[in-house]
Amino acid sequence: MKHALSLKIGPATFRIGSAWRQPVEALAQLYAAYPDPGNAVADFTVRLEPSGFLRRWLRPSIFITGDHGLADAAPMSLTHGLLAAEMGMNLQMALGWRRHLLLHASSVEKDGRALVMTGESGSGKSTLAAQLGERGWRLMGDEFALLDLETGKIFPFPRLVSLKNGAIDVLAAEALPARMGPLLAATAKGNIRHLVPRPDAVQRMEEGAPPALLLFPRFGHAAAMRGVGQGEVFMRLTQASTNYVALGEAGFAALTRFVQGVPARAIDFPSGEEAIAMVERLWEELA
Amino acid sequence: MTMPHRYCQDREDAVAACALEDMVLLYHRPSGQTHMVISPVPEILAALADGAALTAKEVHGELARLYDLGPAEHAVPQIEAHLTELTALGLVRVA
Repeated sequence: MKHALSLKIGPATFRIGSAWRQPVEALAQLYAAYPDPGNAVADFTVRLEPSGFLRRWLRPSIFITGDHGLADAAPMSLTHGLLAAEMGMNLQMALGWRRHLLLHASSVEKDGRALVMTGESGSGKSTLAAQLGERGWRLMGDEFALLDLETGKIFPFPRLVSLKNGAIDVLAAEALPARMGPLLAATAKGNIRHLVPRPDAVQRMEEGAPPALLLFPRFGHAAAMRGVGQGEVFMRLTQASTNYVALGEAGFAALTRFVQGVPARAIDFPSGEEAIAMVERLWEELA
Repeated sequence: MTMPHRYCQDREDAVAACALEDMVLLYHRPSGQTHMVISPVPEILAALADGAALTAKEVHGELARLYDLGPAEHAVPQIEAHLTELTALGLVRVA
């Protein structure tokens, strides 16, 4: 491809190629502090291609593809090129990663143990992880938690944090402006800004931690907390995993070990501050 | 009169089981499928352990020694229905 960049995020290396310069430049700037994978063979390639003839120049429109692709992925505007690249990397991980059980979850670490938070888009798991990452916890990832099949540890995948809509101002108030990416207005998921994780999250991105607490956060409700039975946890985590079926018995063994060993709670919260207080309290009690 | 079906487990090492509180997970190796089951399914499968090939009535006989299953005329058809479902899932075979 005309413009290209290699990135290493946690255990995965990506080669991102683009027909346009802008997305690659934006990525290079935001991932400047990440280690250079050098000449390592990339685990995945991501390609940002024109969605059709002339679409490289005329109302430039990006089609995301790579080693793994979705035939019906909607093309995106070049002004959202950074988001397209991030989505491309997520897509490759979700469809192709086999070395860990991949959970659609955020995770943070403290005292050598990991807190895993899973929920649907809009549940607040990503914002909560980002906020904890600014307040003494190590951010391990806002999108995917990697469960090691042998050790049962959670490993980080600390790509840029994707902040959406109301979360943008919340984190902009806590993080240095240099760590915030450009505002991508009116995407399919609303306004988006990316946040570069703190330096320790990047420096320690190969360092796993045993999971000590699993939370199912839900933003926008009165504060409440309930225990979650192991059967429900198992079912929700298989739904939150993109490669549980593909991993076969190794995935079954890793997930049942996680479910049997990690206490789980569902928390509802009306604001980030209340969520953080609940998390800290539960961490003291259970982890 | 037709002979009642005899049922046996799919091959001996076909299933990895894991108990989670009040339910049991069964990972079926040949199909790669995970099944979540609750009582009495784990007990029925246990009655078919060690290569046993039993009719629903015989399974009932085994379970009745351990559990209160109520009148046999109600319990045996229910066990037969479970065995039919388990056969459809591939966890049990007709011997």
